[in-house]
Amino acid sequence: MPSTDSHSPIISDSPAYDAVIVGASLAGCATAIGLGRAGLKVAVVEKQPDPAAYKRTCSHFIQASGVPAIERLDLLGPIEAAGATRPRVHSWTRWGWITPPPDGGARGINLRREVLDPLVRSTAAETPGVEMLLGWSAERLLREEGSFAGVAVRNPQGTERKLRGRLTIGADGRDSRIAEWAEVPVKKFENARFAYGGYFEGATPPQAPDAAIWFMDPQWAAAFPTDEGLTFYAAMPTKERLPEFKRDPEGALVDFLSLAPDPPPIRAGQAVGTVFGKIDMTSRLRRPTAAGLALVGDAALAADPLFGVGCGWAFQSAEWLRESVEPALQGDESLEQGLERYRRRHAQELKGHSFFIHDYSTGRRFNPAERLLFSAATRDEKTASILEQFATRQIRPQQMLPRAVPRALAVNARHALAR
Amino acid sequence: MSTAAPSPIQRGSLLAGGTRTRLLQVGPVEASEAVVFLHGNPGSADDWVGMAGAAASAGKRAVAFDLPDFGETIAPEGFEHDVPGYAGFVDAALTELGVERVHLVLHDFGGPIGLYWAAAHPDAIASMTLIDTGVLPGYRWHSLARIWRTPVLGELLQATATRPAFRFLLNRNEPRGLPREFVDAMYDHYDRRTRKAVLALYRATDDPGGMSAALVQVFAGRDVPALVIWGEHDAYLPFSYAERQREAFPAAEVHVLPASGHWPFADAPETVERLFAEFLSA
Repeated sequence: MPSTDSHSPIISDSPAYDAVIVGASLAGCATAIGLGRAGLKVAVVEKQPDPAAYKRTCSHFIQASGVPAIERLDLLGPIEAAGATRPRVHSWTRWGWITPPPDGGARGINLRREVLDPLVRSTAAETPGVEMLLGWSAERLLREEGSFAGVAVRNPQGTERKLRGRLTIGADGRDSRIAEWAEVPVKKFENARFAYGGYFEGATPPQAPDAAIWFMDPQWAAAFPTDEGLTFYAAMPTKERLPEFKRDPEGALVDFLSLAPDPPPIRAGQAVGTVFGKIDMTSRLRRPTAAGLALVGDAALAADPLFGVGCGWAFQSAEWLRESVEPALQGDESLEQGLERYRRRHAQELKGHSFFIHDYSTGRRFNPAERLLFSAATRDEKTASILEQFATRQIRPQQMLPRAVPRALAVNARHALAR
Repeated sequence: MSTAAPSPIQRGSLLAGGTRTRLLQVGPVEASEAVVFLHGNPGSADDWVGMAGAAASAGKRAVAFDLPDFGETIAPEGFEHDVPGYAGFVDAALTELGVERVHLVLHDFGGPIGLYWAAAHPDAIASMTLIDTGVLPGYRWHSLARIWRTPVLGELLQATATRPAFRFLLNRNEPRGLPREFVDAMYDHYDRRTRKAVLALYRATDDPGGMSAALVQVFAGRDVPALVIWGEHDAYLPFSYAERQREAFPAAEVHVLPASGHWPFADAPETVERLFAEFLSA
């Protein structure tokens, strides 16, 4: 923990907030909007001074599971008006394509973070009760009677402020310093893959507006058509493929996608901006609460980007936190109770998913259960529909498995007999 | 891309070094510069129909033939079923065909044979295309080859290779399975004569990577245009060798196909033909 001594001038002890949020990305802003609309007083601290700052290393895909939370924040309309596409996902497997069945399954959202982040941040900034402090970075946690009670923040001029709050919220991402300072237990999961991605114009895949992903087992690639006629192309190969990507990121990305089965037309397009990479994708699962403190979004659970769950879960965890602690912050119950409710909700919703996600991050080939489910889903709409609800994180593994496995066994038995 | 072939493939025969082999030709057949395809095991001239079309669409003469005792071709009495013996046949065939400049395309066991010939004729090499084969420093034979190389066990395996067993053995290691027609055609050619030749060839080849140092010495200093295509799921020759082809062919363009196995030209024909046509046209 950094020293609690400070030689910089402390201009004032701010009045107490109901909540002090560190990080004004999706999870932090969504939390701020929710709490602000509940009539609470919220400070949001963000080290980036630019209100239009956005997360660059992100595939920007929002799973269908996150859409209702976005809708309840009244953000879906503005997001669609900003040009978002509403995809379902087509998945290539060695047994063929799993295409979304024509059953009106729920759709995700694709909108570049360059557009999405400022939109969500400005909504938060305009929410009554929310005070946005851009260009301030958290320096240390404040403590009061064995509980966390806000953060000390500093601006580039060296001015320090103490933001006191009943609830401190870490929304500062995968490498959360708030989590580190609070010493919450963390489990790390190595990722055997790395990621490269970039936006291309003139390279819309035939599945558009739907997205396409290739499970090349263990290699992985994806095409996400998004706003402005752009398509985000991503490759997540295992690490032995890294040298070729480091040598020529754009060339390797284009080659990788065009060597995929039923390749998308990436070679016909033009990269817009640079192709970027993320080499270390270690996942982190943290206890999302401590005394007087909660973590949301990636700070609580940073899962493998391969499954595109981060953005959706940012909105969802923000909503679970708001629902859990609102009664306490309104003075109807103890904060401890509210935080315990959030911890439970977070675990119930995401622990099963994260177990399966971490398990696939090892770069292993499909296991027998995955082979069964994926092969059956290429042959049977109903299996495809159950898997889609699971992959879009609308149902949990314990809901998916008992429905999908018996059906997949029957489908594959029929398939074997028919041959 | 194979549909873009400007002329149909001509099928004929060729007498070279005492072997009458099946010959597939396409493109300007009088040209002294030609794309020459050497198949692996199991394999035959038929493996190359699609890629020969791609070569012809790039304006090249393309030539493919069965190696002795493969496909429909019978080796003469006394033919040596070893790498030098097969390389000698290749040399005779190219002389007979009037080919002086060669764009060599090699797959599997066509690799050691073609590279052996190429090392003796480096000036004749216009380009090198290596498909799941090449220089193999430190390579240890795959399990099937180790069985073939073991007396009695090898014969036993060959004797029990029924069509369903053959299909199963081949497809069990292929990530997306090979087209049924491709495997069936391969099995049709995999008769007693071929099975015997396979045992002889593998038993005569103790160290398939043994030539690596010599090949690096011959080729590394030459600016041979090279294309390396490898299926990532190759169960016989691991794809880690793909990048290593740059040791002998520093200019090599390397493509590892993420969803292919040992026969990328069969499980990803469009991609392989595109890469090959672009390479030849460059």
